[in-house]
Amino acid sequence: MTVEAAVLAQLEAIVGAEHVRSGRGDVEPYARDATPAFHAVPDAVVWPRSAEEIAAILRLATRLRLPVIPRGAGSNLCAATVALRGGVVLVLTRMNRILEVDPAELLARAEPGASTEALSKAAAARGLLYAPDPGSRTVSTIGGNVATCAGGLRGLKYGVTRNYVLGLEAVLPTGEVIRTGGRLWKDVAGYDLTRLLTGSEGTLAVLTEITVALLPMPATANTGIAYFASLADAGRAVAAVISDGIVPATLEFLDARCIGAVEEYASLGLRLDAGALLLFGDDGAADAVDRNLARIGELCTAAGAIEVVVADAPARSEALLTARRATLPALSRLGSLTILEDATVPRPRLAEMVGRINEIAERHTVPIATFGHAGDGNLHPTCVVDQHDEAAIERAHRAFAEIFAAAIEMGGTITGEHGVGAAKLPFLEARLGADHVALLRRIKAAFDPAGILNPGKLGS
Amino acid sequence: MTSADASRGIFEPHLLDRCIACGFCLPACPTYALSSDEGSSPRGRITLMRALETGRLDADDPRLREESSFCLGCRACEPVCPAGVRYGELLEAWRDHQWRGRHRPPVAQLLLLAVSHTPVVRAMGLVRRPARTARTGTDGYLMLGCFERLLYPRVSRAVRRLLPDLAVPANQGCCGALHAHNGESARGRELARRLGAQLPGTIVSTAGGCAAHLATVLGRDRVRELSEYLVHAGTTPVGEVLVDGRRARVCLQDSCHLRNGMRVFAEPRALIGAVAEFVAVPGDDSCCGAAGTYSLLRPRDSRRILDPKLDAIEAAGVDYVVAVNPGCLRQLRTGLRRRRSPVRAVHLAELLAAAAGGMPDQ
Repeated sequence: MTVEAAVLAQLEAIVGAEHVRSGRGDVEPYARDATPAFHAVPDAVVWPRSAEEIAAILRLATRLRLPVIPRGAGSNLCAATVALRGGVVLVLTRMNRILEVDPAELLARAEPGASTEALSKAAAARGLLYAPDPGSRTVSTIGGNVATCAGGLRGLKYGVTRNYVLGLEAVLPTGEVIRTGGRLWKDVAGYDLTRLLTGSEGTLAVLTEITVALLPMPATANTGIAYFASLADAGRAVAAVISDGIVPATLEFLDARCIGAVEEYASLGLRLDAGALLLFGDDGAADAVDRNLARIGELCTAAGAIEVVVADAPARSEALLTARRATLPALSRLGSLTILEDATVPRPRLAEMVGRINEIAERHTVPIATFGHAGDGNLHPTCVVDQHDEAAIERAHRAFAEIFAAAIEMGGTITGEHGVGAAKLPFLEARLGADHVALLRRIKAAFDPAGILNPGKLGS
Repeated sequence: MTSADASRGIFEPHLLDRCIACGFCLPACPTYALSSDEGSSPRGRITLMRALETGRLDADDPRLREESSFCLGCRACEPVCPAGVRYGELLEAWRDHQWRGRHRPPVAQLLLLAVSHTPVVRAMGLVRRPARTARTGTDGYLMLGCFERLLYPRVSRAVRRLLPDLAVPANQGCCGALHAHNGESARGRELARRLGAQLPGTIVSTAGGCAAHLATVLGRDRVRELSEYLVHAGTTPVGEVLVDGRRARVCLQDSCHLRNGMRVFAEPRALIGAVAEFVAVPGDDSCCGAAGTYSLLRPRDSRRILDPKLDAIEAAGVDYVVAVNPGCLRQLRTGLRRRRSPVRAVHLAELLAAAAGGMPDQ
């Protein structure tokens, strides 16, 4: 589909000529997001400044059956913002104000294009914590986080984005502006549309304002590392920690390949002879943090850890977490195509799932490195291959299809935190069942009768 | 248009493949901060380079032309890139292709012509008397930047007082950084090698941009930027800089290629802190908009980058802002003069020489 000059003129009339681009070189950078192997060029890119402008754009689009793809920073890993059917990419980064941080009500209000980091910093400046901590927080926008229900490194103790969204303002594809939830922790008036829109991946409405819950900033935080001979040992340590009644803020694992890649990037002095490491962290009152980290260390040792080290300074602790967030790009140094997955299983079955991944990788002769959020059972098996080696790519796809099937079989899911987008849509029915998928389509149709919002993704 | 899988050989495939489009570079990019447009970010520009390489877009695409010039080339995207993309090298290859022949901005063309021949560069020095000696360089050679010797001859004279044992031959040409950054990277490497032969030992430079380019061509170990040389030699700065009887308050403007290319940024801060009160100013690590020829080629964008920086410097209440690259020095001086600011911009060498009492006219 191509957008005619007359349509461009109408878009320009809404947002101003300087905020509409349609040259071939202007739209090319929006043909992709952070997901490899998905590339589809939109016809135009538009930067609105307000809910009113977005409403006018969506009314026009509904009338013309013109696809509209909302986009924040484009750091998602499920091809959620790729313009599969052309149309207009709606970039929300001009709407980036933090509108309010209220210590009395423990909440913040922001426009969708504010970066997650900016929101966290604004909260921290008032002694408050925005708890969700997605790996791409320096880049990602809060709107993108809500649209994909982003997870991250603090999921075990604090939950994920959905646990913090109190209220939303959103524009429906037909142009109405709705408000869901609000500033209240308790509010059961109507269906919980806040939860429905959280994780809806830009397929139901365009978010224009977000109210999130904040927490008092914990007094201290610290991090430690336990090295193991194998991932299976690390998996046992995770089970031991959680059944001991400790809920650490962070419990991350890396296998040997990931340790090597991170060390090469960050030079932290990680042990390269270990088969796996657990990165554990907690926050709160200083004595409680010390006690919990010491206890986790003991449990790791009992589960067979070959070494346990607790960070001796906050800077060291932050360096470890930063390096963990960079695991994926660091792994990408091993080859030209990095395929990252997001299978998730019930926590006690983590070690078993890691075993299955290794078995599947070996059988298909593809190198798969695995890291992830051990405390959430959320694994990121990552395959790095040569992008020109089509046979290897084909083997990797077959291996991942089996990995998804294994996760579902264990009571898990195809994606824990990255989202469905275009990348996981083919696997969605295996996870949800036909009746459930049909219901999603009816929900989508109720919001978006013309099917203009992010077509080819959830609900399509 | 060729098929999407074809390669035109403009870029080295392994350099282009390195980027996985994670977007971690976006918050570090000054032009993305100005535009909020993916196409003006490092990731977006790499997407454009890929389109150029595969033939999806041609070099005459207006946006490709614009972005190859809008990019400051500051390389702030490199230290934050976990995938290890060497963006600076990609940009050189891009401009080599994009700015061939008549497509090069005329101002850049003129400057490149001026510094391409050693006699012309020498003549530039005659006017303003930069430092020079006939000594041989057992302790190293002081490189005289082409434009520094014309615009800021006091800088090399200050270095002579700080490091009297450095040799400063008059017969030295341009390092070629200007060429490498303006679409003539082969010529840039050739000039660097020629200068390496003219200064056959450790080369000490007062220009972050020149040092980083020389280090790329001649090897990291051959080249020392001034602050790096002083700190690694264990030199303790002498004296202090006083203003109204108190220690002067001094901030730094990092040189982008020194910081992002050579990863030197602690050293100048330590030296300033030894002779004055060092003041960390927010954004002192990001580009000032001088960016080699950028302030001449794109004066408006250059000022949009500079102005918030000058606001921050003035708000910090400093007496001096120190530069470690002549382009930055010129940019800061021009900008501060324009707003009649009491803050003065000086080169690190001038500050250290003034502390030691060696620059009475400071």
